[in-house]
Amino acid sequence: MIKVYSTQTCPYCIMAKDYLKNLGQSFEEVDVSVDEKGREELVEKSHQMGVPVVDINGTIIVGFNRAEIDKALGK
Amino acid sequence: MLYDLIIIGGGPAGVAAGIYAARKKIKSLLIAESFGGQSVIAAQINNFIGFKSISGLELKNVLEEHLRVYEDIEIKEGAKVEKIEAGKSNGNFSVILKSGEIFQTKTILLAAGSNPRRLQVPGEEKFEGKGVFYCSTCDAPFLKDKVAAVVGGGNSAFYAVFDLLPYASKIYVLSRGETLKADPIYIDKARSSGKVEIINFAEAKEILGDKFVSALRYEDKKSGEIKTLEVGGIFVEIGYQPNSNMIKGLADINQNGKIVVNCETQATSCKGIWAAGDISSVLYGQINIAIGDGIKAVLNIYDYLKNNK
Repeated sequence: MIKVYSTQTCPYCIMAKDYLKNLGQSFEEVDVSVDEKGREELVEKSHQMGVPVVDINGTIIVGFNRAEIDKALGK
Repeated sequence: MLYDLIIIGGGPAGVAAGIYAARKKIKSLLIAESFGGQSVIAAQINNFIGFKSISGLELKNVLEEHLRVYEDIEIKEGAKVEKIEAGKSNGNFSVILKSGEIFQTKTILLAAGSNPRRLQVPGEEKFEGKGVFYCSTCDAPFLKDKVAAVVGGGNSAFYAVFDLLPYASKIYVLSRGETLKADPIYIDKARSSGKVEIINFAEAKEILGDKFVSALRYEDKKSGEIKTLEVGGIFVEIGYQPNSNMIKGLADINQNGKIVVNCETQATSCKGIWAAGDISSVLYGQINIAIGDGIKAVLNIYDYLKNNK
């Protein structure tokens, strides 16, 4: 399961989501600008507050990083 | 495999250069961490010629789509260049990626732009992403109902203030000078919010916290007094640092870290290497200028390759 923690205005979040979409991956989106619980979850998982954070089956990737997304997906 | 040209960077300068290189059928490779450059985080750009208004992300898409029309250029996206080495005998260069991959080329165009300048104070590195932020468009929501500090006195500091206004309970703006460099229209807008307190003569000294940022220590340059602000987050907006480390020792770099270029050709002091955009010693960091300079460089590289066959 893939979760993307993002804010609506963050360009790197949009790039990360577009990248996953282009790979044909479905994901759950958590908008931390409105979802306070999601914000806490993000901090708990990544031990930091920056977005985007991509959770791919428990592998936490901070920032938009194609190479790490590919690796976590086993590509 | 030996390329005629490797372009490093996917911002306006790199993309413009790539389009011209492809049209000239120069055997080239473009290496970019990502497309769009630093303007990607701009909510709105109103002076990109031909567009009354465009967001940084839309601009990135427009540039990338245009480049990808051409099949005569190879593109390596998501890759970071670590170092450039000059060959000892043949005059060619090795471009070494962080991943360890190496590419050989006759010429290089550096268009790798710049990154946000760091404060370089204790605690900054430790708390990066943990209350120290460089992208207010991205991370402002984390300051919901918290006190924020913005370090910097230029327009970009106030863009951060406006990103923070819907969230933060209070915003300090710390500026080193006696006056702010930002346009008065922004300063007035910030002041009228009632949430913003501007502190002049303030030099950031240390960032404190446990797991996350809890305070910012600064020196009041007028009195010499050290003061502490309790804050939940700090946005650093003190300009940009060129990504010129990869060619240190090869070409001349000025005191601001920018690669010195000949303004007629964009050539650097190292034969076979050109630079364009914010990484070069151009006076004005503008998308339109970066595009022109990238093109100027490629046209000169085309002539150089023709004459050095």
